[in-house]
Amino acid sequence: MSNSRILKSGAGALAAYGLAIAAALFFAFPIFWMVTSSFKSEVDISAYPPVWSFSPTLANYAQLFTELNAWQALLNSALIVGLATCIAMAAGTMAAYALARFDVKGKEFLAFEILSIRMLPPIVSVIPMFIIARQLGIFDTPWLLIAAYALSGLPFVVWVMRVFIQDIPQSIEEAAMIDGCSRFETFWRVTLPLLLPGLAATMVIVFMFAWNEFLLASMLTSQEAKTLPVIAANAIKPKAIAWGLASAAGVMMSLPVVVLVLLMQRYLVRGLTLGAVKG
Amino acid sequence: MAINIDTVYKQFGALKVVNGVSVDIKDGEFFVMLGPSGCGKTTTLRMVAGLELPTAGRISIDGADMTYAEPRHRDIAMAFQDYGLYPNMTVFKNIEFPLKIRKLDVRERARKVEDTAEKLGLGELLQRKPSQLSGGQRQRVSLARALVRNPKVFLMDEPLSNLDAKLRAVMRTEIKKLVTNLGITTIYVTHDQIEAMAMADRIAVMSRGNMVQVASPLEIYDRPKTRFVAEFIGSPPMNLFPAQLKAGGTVTCILPNFAHSLCDDERAFAAQIVDGNGGLLLGIRPEHLIVAKAGAQGATDALVELVEPLGQTTNIYVSVGDVRFVIVTDRTTVKAGDTIGVVAPSELLRVVANDDAVVRH
Repeated sequence: MSNSRILKSGAGALAAYGLAIAAALFFAFPIFWMVTSSFKSEVDISAYPPVWSFSPTLANYAQLFTELNAWQALLNSALIVGLATCIAMAAGTMAAYALARFDVKGKEFLAFEILSIRMLPPIVSVIPMFIIARQLGIFDTPWLLIAAYALSGLPFVVWVMRVFIQDIPQSIEEAAMIDGCSRFETFWRVTLPLLLPGLAATMVIVFMFAWNEFLLASMLTSQEAKTLPVIAANAIKPKAIAWGLASAAGVMMSLPVVVLVLLMQRYLVRGLTLGAVKG
Repeated sequence: MAINIDTVYKQFGALKVVNGVSVDIKDGEFFVMLGPSGCGKTTTLRMVAGLELPTAGRISIDGADMTYAEPRHRDIAMAFQDYGLYPNMTVFKNIEFPLKIRKLDVRERARKVEDTAEKLGLGELLQRKPSQLSGGQRQRVSLARALVRNPKVFLMDEPLSNLDAKLRAVMRTEIKKLVTNLGITTIYVTHDQIEAMAMADRIAVMSRGNMVQVASPLEIYDRPKTRFVAEFIGSPPMNLFPAQLKAGGTVTCILPNFAHSLCDDERAFAAQIVDGNGGLLLGIRPEHLIVAKAGAQGATDALVELVEPLGQTTNIYVSVGDVRFVIVTDRTTVKAGDTIGVVAPSELLRVVANDDAVVRH
């Protein structure tokens, strides 16, 4: 409650708002610059000092869709990242539930083991994954990246969701079981609705990691399964960087994430679990 | 429905929490398990609920073996210390939940929820969320949710301990009236002796995973079998003096005028204690001691150390040599420093075992 007290005094309020606005500007400016640059012509972009007013053009976007085949990459990204996120969320949340609620032997070791996947730098796993994929004949198909992203998202989901599940008082689940639910019904009808804020937050993060992932995507695809970050990198030409094209690709990559966060916002607001138990 | 608990043990790893508890709870009985925290009362309750499984032993409800049955198959209801309400549902939805799980018809559900809510004074609050309710209201919702489906057995795990003292007294009578009227077999867990005394048909006093004594509230109060029970029930607690069993069946203690001849029942009990490990005590409730003039016939002279006037009663703390005890009387003019005579009526003195382990109810 100390926050609201600071906000009540005039000078404090002014300082707080000032700082908030400064921080917002600091983070918003690069995005603003990226969006405007994507509508600038080559000349306007390289102008020095930078120009603030210019005649907008869609040339960069046209180039993105024709030369770089962005539609295909967008579809690939959506399919791969969407499926991988769903798999990681579903499997991870169930594993987290088991680790949070059941008396599993060697539970701490298991949890640590799951985390250990994240300790490996991705570059280490690229070569083996490349060889395995070749052997299995799934190189340059979406399945390879789906598996890779689901696996690398899983430990994060397990660890974060475990904490969210532990935060839900056990007596709520026990009440449900006594009220007539099986363990699964308890999870589905009582626990899951209370987990929505946690699920939303975790999902956004897992999605963003996979959506922006470049290294695995560039090494494990060649033509068919290319994702957005890979084609965006094509804006870096041998002699110079095509800033307009890069900006357009950046805008296109950011949009789905922005939409996702807006959709999830309602769940990202915490406080749903208040008042369940005493206090 | 009758509940039978038969030599039930529960161990968590190396920790023994419940050590062979056996008790028969009768149909419609209000049974209270009373004890300090860590005595195994909640674990015993949770084993009846099916939320914990016993390490050994058997639990049956209405004659059917329920030792390892899932909670939902036991037809029990439970009220939790922290209420266990579903925070994302309204009061109506909370109370409706068990009926919904049982797939009752929608109209039937609404009727039952409204009936139960009315009975518990929740009629106005049906559309609120638990976070918008006071502690007392939340506990009432949890009671309503338990009662709405007419369970065979009602289990309550310290349902009042998060409420303030005044509300606790009110809810105590409400709960007692409610379940008595409905005739539901109830097991109630508490660490509050007043709650136990006021509500129970029978009390089981528990210590270190054992039921030390199981009896009616007044029996427990009047004839505690062990030091633990004698000191746990009653405030101030029973006065206890190290004692010896004399030939001819008289028990004497360090104060010569405090002596008690055993009746037949007590004789057997006393023999059991002496056989056990020799820890025999003579006890008397503070309000059973009579204040007389110093030097009076049959009285023991005692020095008054402290007087606590509580309004209705007065506590007088006295000493005889280095033996200290307390007397509860009506209002009195006795002051600290006075010497008074104390009479202990022989028939009100009790034989008490020094150690829990000596006696199993």
